[in-house]
Amino acid sequence: MAKRPKKSEFGRFNASLERFAVLRSRAFAFFLDWAAWGYISYAVMYFLNQYWYTWYVDWYGTLVLPAWGWPIVVLATLELAILMHAFGHGIGMSLFGTKLVTTDADYPTRKQRWRRFLWMHASLVMLPLTLLRTGQDGALLHDRRSETRMRAWKDVKDVLPARKPRAWIRTQSGIMTLVLIGVTFWLGWEITEIDLGMLFSRAGMSARIWKDLVNPDFVHFFQPDPMLEQSIVQGLIESIFIALLATLMGGIIAFPLSFLGARNIMGFSPLGWFVYAIMRAFFNIFRSIESILWAVIFAVWVGFGPFAGVLALTLHTFAALGKLFSEQVEGIDPGPLEAIASTGGRRVDVVLFGVIPQIVPSYLAFSLYRWDINIRMATVIALVGGGGIGRVLFYYKNQVGFLSNAWNQVGAVVVAIVAVIWLLDYISGRVREKII
Amino acid sequence: MDHLLTVENLTKVYARGEVLALNDMSFSVEKGEFLVLIGLSGSGKSTLLRCVNRLIEPTAGTVTFDGVDVTRASPSELRRVRRRMAMIFQHFNLVKRSTVLTNVLSGKLGYMSPWSSAAHKFSRSDINKAMANLERVGIPEQAYKRADELSGGQQQRVGIARALMQAPDLLMADEPVSALDPATSHSVMQHLEVMNQEDGVTVMTSLHFLGLARRYGTRILALKDGQIVYGGLPSDIDEVRFREIYGEEAEEVGVR
Repeated sequence: MAKRPKKSEFGRFNASLERFAVLRSRAFAFFLDWAAWGYISYAVMYFLNQYWYTWYVDWYGTLVLPAWGWPIVVLATLELAILMHAFGHGIGMSLFGTKLVTTDADYPTRKQRWRRFLWMHASLVMLPLTLLRTGQDGALLHDRRSETRMRAWKDVKDVLPARKPRAWIRTQSGIMTLVLIGVTFWLGWEITEIDLGMLFSRAGMSARIWKDLVNPDFVHFFQPDPMLEQSIVQGLIESIFIALLATLMGGIIAFPLSFLGARNIMGFSPLGWFVYAIMRAFFNIFRSIESILWAVIFAVWVGFGPFAGVLALTLHTFAALGKLFSEQVEGIDPGPLEAIASTGGRRVDVVLFGVIPQIVPSYLAFSLYRWDINIRMATVIALVGGGGIGRVLFYYKNQVGFLSNAWNQVGAVVVAIVAVIWLLDYISGRVREKII
Repeated sequence: MDHLLTVENLTKVYARGEVLALNDMSFSVEKGEFLVLIGLSGSGKSTLLRCVNRLIEPTAGTVTFDGVDVTRASPSELRRVRRRMAMIFQHFNLVKRSTVLTNVLSGKLGYMSPWSSAAHKFSRSDINKAMANLERVGIPEQAYKRADELSGGQQQRVGIARALMQAPDLLMADEPVSALDPATSHSVMQHLEVMNQEDGVTVMTSLHFLGLARRYGTRILALKDGQIVYGGLPSDIDEVRFREIYGEEAEEVGVR
């Protein structure tokens, strides 16, 4: 295919957009490196707080920076970022795919890197002016002064002379990645208050509970507990039906709406795009709110009990399946749709004869999978008033101290839950195998 | 002879990358012709075929089919035009999980009311016709199998049966045999030839192999960079013309 013969006005506009895109990815790469140093300095502050708080302490005993401390941190991290940007290949450059080369497509010399490092200060000090005076090839002040250019890696990788690459672990981005992973792990360890010693020092206390748990007491397995007015089996049946109804209702609502959330069905008109965006946002928002939170809301709305649980799980199932379903619709083979359109079929015919036969098996498989999840969820939403087997579980857990065999009964409930989930998992797994 | 299809100044620019797929192309197709489009991959053959029935919206130009301006047709006019021009595809484009019979019957969708198509209710005469068409392409015993259980050649024959259901005036085929082996290729091409000679269906097909084009075509259009570089009899394509169409280093491979 031929390129468009003459470059239009639009083409020139595009070219300037392209230059802007290169500048933008350079800026992102730089800010990413800067942000990495910001993160490291935050971690350093945190560690100082943890281990060495004798220096500058406020009323609450927390180490704080004095007012003049923040500008110093900002400038010091900026300086570090500039230094590393001029003298190596940082994380930002790796992620955004840029590479520093000389104007004659070679690796920069040490002298050029120093010039670049020094002129970058000038560039940053008068940043707006620097950007205004961007050269035709996207070169900034420090690029011109050091005769180096930041280029897209894919453009220069075939031009640069071959050179044995350094081992990843010895490059700047490799070292920085390892440092960031290490810092994150250490910081997380402190923030989540991990204390492995506790596992052993308190082992004796939990040993008693473990002993009771592994000796389950099935006294109320069939026989309803007079206080709870429910037996374990009744609770299980309730949970299974909560999950079943939530899956059915959620799936049935999600089925038609998933087409509205599929780009290949909706992306033909501005209105379609609008509906698509709304549907996707809707799915994502409702999916990201956990069903246990929905259960809190519905337990207040319609009262404690299985109905609140069904509503909560239905809403979450609908959103989760809606998203999965729409992605299935987007992943279908477009060929048959083309064929049905070419016979003179309507858009409806394309969906009925081209789309639906392709997606039904995966819809069923996803719904079964969701049923698995819903049964597991149905056991915990009782915690906030959702009804089902979870209610029985937490009832006995709260009887610890009042009933001598409370932990044994909890053990019985846990055994029952595990058995049912294992069984249903197995069945739905077998059915899924058959469908796909 | 009268024109069945007239293409005037047809242009297609793909917005992304500003690629000119069809460059101001004009030609016409006579009734009863077996027109073969040849050219390198990316020369615009598929785009041209899809612009004719507007599976791809052309950027400029007009397509006139039997007096109807396709490029300016309303959605319902477009449906009426589309059901008179059937299409078969390189990768068959069957609904793999549906039965062969359902795939063939979907050729009738253009004629059906929205209610009967929504209810998947095909009339008895349509089903009989579908079985007859399967018989005609030689695979009546496969009618109730799932389409993806069939071999490539059989799947393309299902595609032909689906096209036959439309009782078309024009049959467009986009590389109908390039996914098939040589022997199967000929049997599929012979079905097209029979449609052309016995039913009087005008055929417009793109083909990769010049050998097939010479054997079946009554006229050849050669495309290069979205333009027609040659139009004429298959027998007139000699070594020089061949190099013009396919480039200097090209060498002919044949399918016998």
